Amino acid sequence: MNETEPVVPRPRGRDAVAYAILSLISIYCAIPFVWLVLASFDANAALFLRWPSPWTLNNYIGIFVREGGARWFFNSFVVVGAATIIVLVFSGFGGYALSRTNAWWKRPFLYTIILVRVVPPPALVVPLYSILLTANNAVASFVRSLLAPELMRPAMLVVGLIDGYLGLILVFAAMQLPLALWIMKTYFDTIPYDYEEAALVDGASLFQRLRLVLAPLALPGLGAAGIFAFISAWGDFLMPLIFLSSSELQMLPLGLFRAFLRVQQIDYGFLSALAILYMLPAVIAFGFARRYFVQTFSGGVKA
Amino acid sequence: MTYHQRTARQLQLLLLPCVLLVGALVVYPALYSIYLSLTNASLVGVAATHPRFVGTRNYVRLFADGGFWNSLAVTFWFVLGSAVIGQFVLGLAAAVLLRRPLRFKHLINSIILLPNAVPEVVAGFIWISMLAGGDHATLNRLLGALGIPPVRWLQDFPLAMIIVVNTWRGIASAMILMTAGLSAVPGEIREAARIDGASPRQVFRFITLPLIMPTIFLYMLVSTVTTISIFGFIYALTRGGPGNATEIIGIYIYNQSFTAFQLGYGSAVAVVTLILSLAIGLVYVRALKVEV
Repeated sequence: MNETEPVVPRPRGRDAVAYAILSLISIYCAIPFVWLVLASFDANAALFLRWPSPWTLNNYIGIFVREGGARWFFNSFVVVGAATIIVLVFSGFGGYALSRTNAWWKRPFLYTIILVRVVPPPALVVPLYSILLTANNAVASFVRSLLAPELMRPAMLVVGLIDGYLGLILVFAAMQLPLALWIMKTYFDTIPYDYEEAALVDGASLFQRLRLVLAPLALPGLGAAGIFAFISAWGDFLMPLIFLSSSELQMLPLGLFRAFLRVQQIDYGFLSALAILYMLPAVIAFGFARRYFVQTFSGGVKA
Repeated sequence: MTYHQRTARQLQLLLLPCVLLVGALVVYPALYSIYLSLTNASLVGVAATHPRFVGTRNYVRLFADGGFWNSLAVTFWFVLGSAVIGQFVLGLAAAVLLRRPLRFKHLINSIILLPNAVPEVVAGFIWISMLAGGDHATLNRLLGALGIPPVRWLQDFPLAMIIVVNTWRGIASAMILMTAGLSAVPGEIREAARIDGASPRQVFRFITLPLIMPTIFLYMLVSTVTTISIFGFIYALTRGGPGNATEIIGIYIYNQSFTAFQLGYGSAVAVVTLILSLAIGLVYVRALKVEV
């Protein structure tokens, strides 16, 4: 940020105006959270803003003992975590290749990545559902040929492409990969070839160079790529809504949404506590990623 | 094989996993949606297993469908109100004002960033409480203190409310990008103009603004595309209702495909949306001047 002091002394009044405008914006941004936080500590929470009486921690404890809140967390972490790992590995390799190649397809490839990034996910879910449904039948018949019938369902919950971990993991990974690839390509652009050359002279193979020389150098870039993939997949609602239906696979966004739909008996305290714990990982991750955020618009992460 | 050929082959291999995954789950579906849109594919019944080719029938129906035009109009106002005006104006204001050496600068900055990190369903959930009807609801109470009678926000002003919520979510991204744009404007130029007698307002209008124009343009493109693809928080908040007042294009696609089970028709809507987004994407590609 540019911190040059203005040459002309600033009148005090202008700061007051700045404070006033910034306060209004801050209130706008902060006020919806007030209800959420208060309700999460309130034993008799309602949809309306009220001071907690009595104060309680039971809403938070409740998440892990009832309603499968712990399971929703587990599922979210498994799916989003696995997708993030795939994104990291693929974008690490792919970004390196994109950065180092001089082939004719380099520029068209980069343009394609940008175009892929603007594809709206809601426009994609219909064909994606159709394709994965077909592929899922193939997976199912393969699994059936291997396993006893009673193991069929648990197995499909893991490797199924529709209503299974694997399908959603792959979908999330594919959605997040273009941005990550872009970040990693730009990041590798900033790492001089000299490091590799030195290793090359010492007789290191490509995979030795990647593992021993480039991976440590690429860690900041990978960190940024991984955090953005995680935040985006963690907060997504559309994909779990389309691709999951079994209660065993329920993830946080869907669990929260469905619990909220039971008009008759909504436990606002429980839901608020759940919402806070759900948003916490994203908020923390965003705190780390904030300084890389600009580059996701224009280029990748600069070293 | 020479060393260079081998290296080229190795690099292609490293890129292969990305190509396969994105090709299979993004590019192929996007192309497949064109085929689906020309069939009567459905989630249930005979058409689910044996879709028939129906030519352009879905498109003919689409362009005569008031629901489709409604969702386009809702999307247009939603993008204009939240991304182009709301987020941009407030984000730019915050970016400009936070350049001053104010106290609480970092606190204010963090507060503005917070909504950006909130998952979509949580955003829907907390705004349901904010905007609920009746005189106990948060917003009504705040406005009640100013003497304004309670309003059923989500029933009476649904489109305006999803604009308010999306603006809330996106001030941060505009602010961050504008901060970057502003910090690229050389301080000397502004200083020189001040010495020549320009007022701060004139400096902003005639020096700063023209220099951050490329950044603004970039922001407009990116935020338009991302706003078109919004689904989650609106679905959690209103499900497109009341009626179809907040049925933006993403929700319209979902409702046609997965609520009314008409995959073919939903695909036709998806194809139109894709073309729209890709057109903006092409401008974006040109504007970025990608360095290779």
